[in-house]
Amino acid sequence: MLQLEGIDAGYAGTQVLWDVALEAKQGAMTVIVGPNGAGKSTVLKVINGLLRPTRGKVLFQGNDITRRPAHERTEAGISSCPEGRRLFPQLTVEANLRLGAYAKRARGSADETLEYVYRLFPRLRERAHLKTIRLSGGEQQMVGIGRALMAKPLLLILDEPSLGLAPKTVSEIFQKVRELREGGLTLLLVEQNAYQALRIADFGYVMQEGRIVNAGPPDRLLDLEDLRKAYFAIP
Amino acid sequence: MADAALFLSDLALGVLLGCVFAVIAHGLNLIWGVAKVVNVAHGEFIMLGAYGAYFLNLWFGFNPLLSIPFDAAIGLGVGVLFYFGFLHRELRGKESMDLQSEMVTLVSTFGLSLVLINTAQKLWTPDNVGIPWSPGYVVFGPVQLPLGGLYVAIVSVSIIALSHVFLSKTYLGNAIRAHSQDIPAAQLVGINPTITASIGTAVGFGITMVGGALLTVWLPTGIFPAMGNLYAPISFVIVVLGGPGKMWGSLVGGLTLGVIINVGQLFLGNNLSLAEAAAFLILIPVLLLRPEGILR
Ligand SMILES: Nc1ncnc2c1ncn2[C@@H]1O[C@H](COP(=O)(O)OP(=O)(O)OP(=O)(O)O)[C@@H](O)[C@H]1O
Ligand SMILES: [Mg+2]
Repeated sequence: MLQLEGIDAGYAGTQVLWDVALEAKQGAMTVIVGPNGAGKSTVLKVINGLLRPTRGKVLFQGNDITRRPAHERTEAGISSCPEGRRLFPQLTVEANLRLGAYAKRARGSADETLEYVYRLFPRLRERAHLKTIRLSGGEQQMVGIGRALMAKPLLLILDEPSLGLAPKTVSEIFQKVRELREGGLTLLLVEQNAYQALRIADFGYVMQEGRIVNAGPPDRLLDLEDLRKAYFAIP
Repeated sequence: MADAALFLSDLALGVLLGCVFAVIAHGLNLIWGVAKVVNVAHGEFIMLGAYGAYFLNLWFGFNPLLSIPFDAAIGLGVGVLFYFGFLHRELRGKESMDLQSEMVTLVSTFGLSLVLINTAQKLWTPDNVGIPWSPGYVVFGPVQLPLGGLYVAIVSVSIIALSHVFLSKTYLGNAIRAHSQDIPAAQLVGINPTITASIGTAVGFGITMVGGALLTVWLPTGIFPAMGNLYAPISFVIVVLGGPGKMWGSLVGGLTLGVIINVGQLFLGNNLSLAEAAAFLILIPVLLLRPEGILR
């Protein structure tokens, strides 16, 4: 469904990504893991259009979208919940969610999708009329995922949905992500919580210092001795 | 007794005047929020709005209320031009204004302000003009209110309410609010930032120019090319008082300033600049205690 080919990218002249290639297959959950500063979020920005690569191609459903602006990619079916969620702080939960359906492809069915999101995260229905700055971290993450779902994505991108959440909330979020995957959604997930993420993934990439250094099925990655030591923090 | 009545009527006049201030500040607030730019030429667009009302009166006999739709249309057009002329290049592809772009827009809007004042002086002379329109008075007990001011206050509150409905109940309005809160997040939900920024700026200019037209009711002879210097500072104080980005903040801030300035002139001897200085003085403690504005 999505392919990156030979991507170089960076910020203000400093190169951060080097020859990154990866693929997210239809109906599968792909995970990118790697330490802080490896460039995971930067890869996602190249995919959702917030950052233009200096070299390489982004293909979505066979079309070259490398030069398409971010909002057109959402319209095409790529929807992201970015790092730190980036909700609209002064708007209510429901206004945030409804804005998720801003894309024309999603607007017509906004009411039904909203109902679907509320069934997925019942707590959001109770909080519907609160400004999102008043929510807990876990609830904000639910709004972030919900808002991305409101766009009726073909590909859902989540950047560290577990970041800064209590362990119990993390499991809850991972459970929901797994449900989405079982519902047939194509997912691309970035996580520092590598162990938990790989356990529910179909395919994994390992990034380090701006490069993909390993790729494969999760069991194989989980078995790699040096990865275990480096950052899975499991014996 | 007479003093109490004088005070009461100044208070009431201050409230009416404050409603107009609120509209003018509301325009500034929108531009600030959505375009991330402090429009130094704000006062000059108030001036243009006032001259718009003046000429519509001179040529067609329109009263200031009738000139609203025309000023609004001109303001929208001017706003779009302003956005693409001054802001688009600086804002495009950015998450927020960096220091460099901020400086560029400050300097260029400052330049624009000088150009507008000087052009207006050439075209229309530096002399004061005014619109002869006085639909009479209405009396509430000891207080006598000018009907023109009353109508204008009602229109002002309606404009703010209407823009509130637009910004909170329509897709486009919500997109403009989303844009002013987080540009990349807005892009990620499918909002084209060029559209929201240009329309938001246009609406801000439309409201500012309409505010200029409404203000003329209070200025029997007070329309002149440099008049912006009197009213732009008031707008800035109101936006800071009410809280940047807060729609009802403009109204609360406007009423506060209207009353302070009107009642202030009662004590400071009819001196607008002195009353304005007083308004700036109350801003300092507010900024220290509640930097996010008086509203929660
Ligand atoms: N907006 C930016 N401007 C300049 N440099 C940036 C910016 N964002 C990220 N970087 C740099 O790019 C590199 C990769 O950052 P990135 O955020 O992609 O890493 P990451 O793998 O997502 O890390 P984390 O796990 O901490 O989220 C880092 O060295 C970072 O300092
Ligand atoms: Mg990251």
